[in-house]
Amino acid sequence: MALKPQALQGVRVLDLTHHVAGPYCAKLLSDFGADVVKVERLEGDVCRAIAPFAGDDAHPDKGLLFAYLNAGKRGVTLNLKTPTGKGLVERLAAGADILVENFSPRVMPSLGLDYGRLRALNPGLVMVSISNFGQTGPYRDYKAADIVHYALGGLQYIFGAADGPPLKHALRQTQFKAGTNAATAALIGWHHRLFTGEGQHIDVSIHECVASALRDTTSLYAYAGGVRQRQAAHTGDMPRSPVPAADGYVVPIHFGGAVDWGALGDFIGAPELGEERFAAPEGRAANAAALHDALESGMRRWRKYELMREAHKRRGHIYGVVQSPAEVMESEQYAARGYFADMDNPAHSSSGKAIGAAKYPGAPFIMSATPWRQRGPAPALGQHNKEVFCGELGLTAAELGRLRATGAV
Amino acid sequence: MRLPLTGVRIVEFGQLIAIPHAVKLLGDMGAEVIRVESHKRLDNYRTHSFYGNETDGKRWWDRAANFYEQNRNKMSVTLDLADGRCLDALRGLIAISDVFAENFTPRVMRNFGLEYDDLRRIKPDIIMASSTGYGYTGPWSGYGAIGFTTEAASGLAHITGYRDGPPALPEIPYADYTAAEHTAFAIMAALAHRARTGEGQFIDVSQSETVTSTMPEAMLDWAVNGRISERIGNGDAVMSPHGTYPCAGQDRWISIAVATDAQWRGLCEGFADALDAAGGDGAAARAWLGDARFADGLSRWRHRDALDALLGAATALCDQHALQAALQARGVPAGAVLDGEQLLFDPHLRARGFYEVAEHAPETGMPPLPYASRPWRFSAAPGGLRTSAPTLGQHNRRALEALLGMDAAAVGALAADGAIGTEPSGAAATAPRTVPMAEQARRGMVGRWDAGHGARVGRGYGGGGG
Repeated sequence: MALKPQALQGVRVLDLTHHVAGPYCAKLLSDFGADVVKVERLEGDVCRAIAPFAGDDAHPDKGLLFAYLNAGKRGVTLNLKTPTGKGLVERLAAGADILVENFSPRVMPSLGLDYGRLRALNPGLVMVSISNFGQTGPYRDYKAADIVHYALGGLQYIFGAADGPPLKHALRQTQFKAGTNAATAALIGWHHRLFTGEGQHIDVSIHECVASALRDTTSLYAYAGGVRQRQAAHTGDMPRSPVPAADGYVVPIHFGGAVDWGALGDFIGAPELGEERFAAPEGRAANAAALHDALESGMRRWRKYELMREAHKRRGHIYGVVQSPAEVMESEQYAARGYFADMDNPAHSSSGKAIGAAKYPGAPFIMSATPWRQRGPAPALGQHNKEVFCGELGLTAAELGRLRATGAV
Repeated sequence: MRLPLTGVRIVEFGQLIAIPHAVKLLGDMGAEVIRVESHKRLDNYRTHSFYGNETDGKRWWDRAANFYEQNRNKMSVTLDLADGRCLDALRGLIAISDVFAENFTPRVMRNFGLEYDDLRRIKPDIIMASSTGYGYTGPWSGYGAIGFTTEAASGLAHITGYRDGPPALPEIPYADYTAAEHTAFAIMAALAHRARTGEGQFIDVSQSETVTSTMPEAMLDWAVNGRISERIGNGDAVMSPHGTYPCAGQDRWISIAVATDAQWRGLCEGFADALDAAGGDGAAARAWLGDARFADGLSRWRHRDALDALLGAATALCDQHALQAALQARGVPAGAVLDGEQLLFDPHLRARGFYEVAEHAPETGMPPLPYASRPWRFSAAPGGLRTSAPTLGQHNRRALEALLGMDAAAVGALAADGAIGTEPSGAAATAPRTVPMAEQARRGMVGRWDAGHGARVGRGYGGGGG
């Protein structure tokens, strides 16, 4: 059977990105069909040095995050600071539909590759610039890390315990949020071009990716003067934080109406929840710790998946379970949907280093007519230099050799 | 002015965040959005977080903050889908639209006959986007979910939390936004395909799967190395110092991350500047530079607990903004932990015009108020806030008569029969009770309450607060 087409088939993306946010943007475009040429500096993307590595072997061809973010892209190396390197990028940009970069805002102009220059080469180009705080504003040149975006973006203040420090998610969530939003913006820009022929420059701020996704935080202040804060451990209401069950944690959400505490007590096996002192909000607030203890004693009687299944038979009981990465991989739900994808990263001829075959997170969503697909593993450093520079830009083998010798590629 | 998505029409049958936020991102960029809702069973986001925290004597269902955050630039049509005429009207609206986006459970869509196979019969090239907690198919597909439970299922909560503490979730349904951001991308990809081929399709978003896609480090460390990382709070696997430290004032904090030796030198110098300015001992911070425990990245990471204690004692003397400025001046990634009020008045976001002021319909009694916009700026065809979120059923006539071509008498009959409406009816008509803000502050539901917020918002944004 012939493969189904992909949504972005034929869309040419020039990927000048490194680290995480830019590569995730280009990965989304690639996995849905775009032809992505990734340009790395001669030393390689910094992401190649980020753990975890297969077998804890800290080799640039064995980084698992790099392998995930760059699968299916073609990789070339260029020194953008040489006139030759810059010239080659300009030729690639002239033939691209979308260019993505995530340097700090000063870099592209300093290389002579600002939007004005690129537009002169390619008026229809959609240029997406991802940066920490955007291309303008007083914090434009501020340094950041994931935790700094949590702080300045407003998410950290409302994360964690009332009597503890503000918290952040593990890993690099703000980078992924920015990559996703940038990919959407790229396609909105491309859609505009499809109907008008007009390209443009799109400024994506990682900081604003956090600040644009905060329910009822700035608006609570504007509407009622309330300043949302990290929740106390015992509020006299259903906890929003995970509650221990016999074999892990559950998230016992009751949705759409007041909780019937007596019925809840009967359900989970904590009849004391039906006591008079817990009947009214005032009583629950005054006895918040006791209420929480009763809830927890009931929940601890259950195995988490069993409690989830039983809860969902009851109206409004939309209980969730905390799954470890191992449990996610074994999850009947993820398995039924075929979420995980096999990918083989064979040894690169240059290094002999291989990740080998592994199961990767697969399609982030399912498209019926134009499915997610990966066209191959992540490139070794400069793996497609010859294919792109000779095959597409028309350089001769001798010219490519000269460029190698002068440090341009 | 032509906006990037001018000419794209979306019927949204959404609730809460997962679909409304995705469609908001597209509506901001020019898509025409018809929001189908019910006046007999209100979107949960019309039922709390009210302007002025009160529901007495006003159209409270048109005064809820969460609803206004998610639903700008949209029309509202109230259809009671139990009435066959309304179900027909919804099908009619879908037949003249490009995208149908919904986040109910598959059971609801089956019951109404609004599954993709039903819709493609009335609009062969329709793009249908379904967003569910765990996916449209599979053994959990019938389970209701919200952001807290899908984040729990994704794997992210398991690796997040204080050291030696339980898994942690933020105060907002974070996963809904991750799902919405991916859904907006998916819809754009489907529009790209349709623009070139004429073919529509079905998009099936599992909210928990979108989050799992954003934590590959943890998934692959398990899949390849058989390892599951422990919860390490604000720590980092490599960087030190890396954390959140107390500052002068009530519940004030700063987050700092140091990746390189140059940043470490900058940190010591920046702390010296800040401590000198705060009347502290700047020389002590300069002395950190000579401390062998902190001489290189690996040493700093090995001695991270001692380093955190040292920094925490110094940060406690400093104003969070002054310290942020001193550290950033030396090239150190550092940022004050901003609360909702501080965020609204953050000088950088204000300079970028991030919060946009919306005028509200007179019957809401609400002054103009600022709202978070979107995480991008387009140079040639910028989007923006054109109209605030709609009042309940505000566009019933426009959608049913002008767009769908129903005659006025038929629409009048729907109104007379209560099948459409501009006020909640039945059980939905009972005004929710609110907890006074002072009481919320006392019980820890909010951190604090500022009775002077109205004047402050009014001064800052030319509107006013409640």
